[in-house]
Amino acid sequence: MNLARVRKKERIGERFVLLEIEDRDIATQAQPGQFVMVRPFEGVYDPLLPRPFAILRAEGNCFAILFEIVGRGTSLLSRLEPGNELYVLGPLGRGFSLEAPSAILIAGGRGIVPLVFLALELTKRATPFSFFLGVRERKELALLRILDGISEISWSCEERVTGGFCGTVLELFKKHFDATLKGDVRIYACGPEGMLQALSKILTGREETTEVSLEARMGCGFGVCLGCAIPRRDGGYWHVCSDGPVFKLSEVVL
Amino acid sequence: MNLSVHLGRLVLQNPVVLTSGTCGYGKEMQPYLDLNSLGAITVKGLSLFPWPGNPPPRIWETKAGLLNSIGLENKGVERFLEEDLPFLEGLTTRVFVNIWGRTVDEYVAVARKLNEVKRIDALELNLSCPNVEKGGATFIADLEVLKRLVGEVRAATEKFLIAKLGPQVCDWETTVALLEEGGVEALSITNSFPALVIDVERMDFVFALKTAGLSGPAIKPLALKMVYDLVGITKLPVIGMGGITTAEDALEFLLVGAKAVGIGTASLVVPSSAIRVLEGIKQYLFRKGITDVEEIIGKVR
Repeated sequence: MNLARVRKKERIGERFVLLEIEDRDIATQAQPGQFVMVRPFEGVYDPLLPRPFAILRAEGNCFAILFEIVGRGTSLLSRLEPGNELYVLGPLGRGFSLEAPSAILIAGGRGIVPLVFLALELTKRATPFSFFLGVRERKELALLRILDGISEISWSCEERVTGGFCGTVLELFKKHFDATLKGDVRIYACGPEGMLQALSKILTGREETTEVSLEARMGCGFGVCLGCAIPRRDGGYWHVCSDGPVFKLSEVVL
Repeated sequence: MNLSVHLGRLVLQNPVVLTSGTCGYGKEMQPYLDLNSLGAITVKGLSLFPWPGNPPPRIWETKAGLLNSIGLENKGVERFLEEDLPFLEGLTTRVFVNIWGRTVDEYVAVARKLNEVKRIDALELNLSCPNVEKGGATFIADLEVLKRLVGEVRAATEKFLIAKLGPQVCDWETTVALLEEGGVEALSITNSFPALVIDVERMDFVFALKTAGLSGPAIKPLALKMVYDLVGITKLPVIGMGGITTAEDALEFLLVGAKAVGIGTASLVVPSSAIRVLEGIKQYLFRKGITDVEEIIGKVR
């Protein structure tokens, strides 16, 4: 684990925090879909383990993470301020495949994070893509702010709002389904388990060309504790940290 | 400064060892620390056949500790020899391999296969894993089976033989005498503690197998007492482990008589933890003007 410094901190809505962290190695090596293990303090035993976070973007000497405050670990991390130090390990895991003639990105809630990094990379490569973001509550629409500079965005909200689609991101996606799925397209998705399960039903027959980024309760993050097991389609288990976190839909049981 | 420690016929260049199940098959650790600077690494428990392990969830964090129910997942001895041994061949540090089986015959078969591998310095028998229903727990609890197990493994291998113990041992003196007579050459202690956690929202057990093994700083004082007690009843060298996170923790174990110390859960938190522990031990010895680490072993009895 390396000691790194928080360079910038931004609150996104009520529950999200964006931290820009200075670490040249991670910033220069990170690929879309990869993650970092982060620990706010050294020598503190509660929480004991570092926490995994998808990389939002990486540029120059800095990379960024964006997280939702959900428990003690993320709450402590949210209290860091620019100039504070923290411990980071990464980049870790297998990211998205970047070779695609065209792409569809589907994000649910905080699942947006790795897909932003992917969208930035696809833009650089001039790969055409559509980006679908779905949120449950109106206040989560604050996340739209991190999509600045990314074109072709459609969004949905399960609460009634003006300017967007009212419903789930999959309902929104299905509206575009026929038009967007023609031709050679790779689909990338990240979001809550229920969303990914529903998506896999919609995409029957496209399991080889659909990639999902999964979340898991992790121990080490680098493949030794075998704590983050998920079932494989062909029996046995994958480990989200070292075999993933990005998997083809054909590889996993959701 | 002399850091080497003598565990009977086996010499380690220093007393810091990576423990089974927290350093994979070895090469996973390579990006994070220089394995050759350690006393030994312990390859995770191997069985005769690949073993899938337990369904998720497999880990749960508690205050200063970690509960795990990995269920001994491993790729099996054959795949280990094909995929991981070549990396280990390139190392100079001592290599221990933890082994387990569902039956005495399976332990023996694994021991026999590994006996032929020159690079492997020691076999560590998992006798106390609380995770798999038909796993180690039955071997340590049943003295007759244990005697047969140790005897048959001893006959199958010339490797330095370590028995890994845990809190499930009932009759310590009898068990230790049995292991000594059976030809075990060192004892590592302790494996994780059987523990329980409840998900109050779901009003259910967190783990499919209900109980799981607790490790991490939370168990350190318990582990230290086990090492202290065990050193008092055996002539075998003891490798102490259980929640060691800092050099100070490690020194406590050495002072009560452990010949070496295992770094486990701490490596999951910070993969280079073992190096920092080793550096801290060196600094301590330097500060105290002690030139040989073995001088402090068992100094507090």
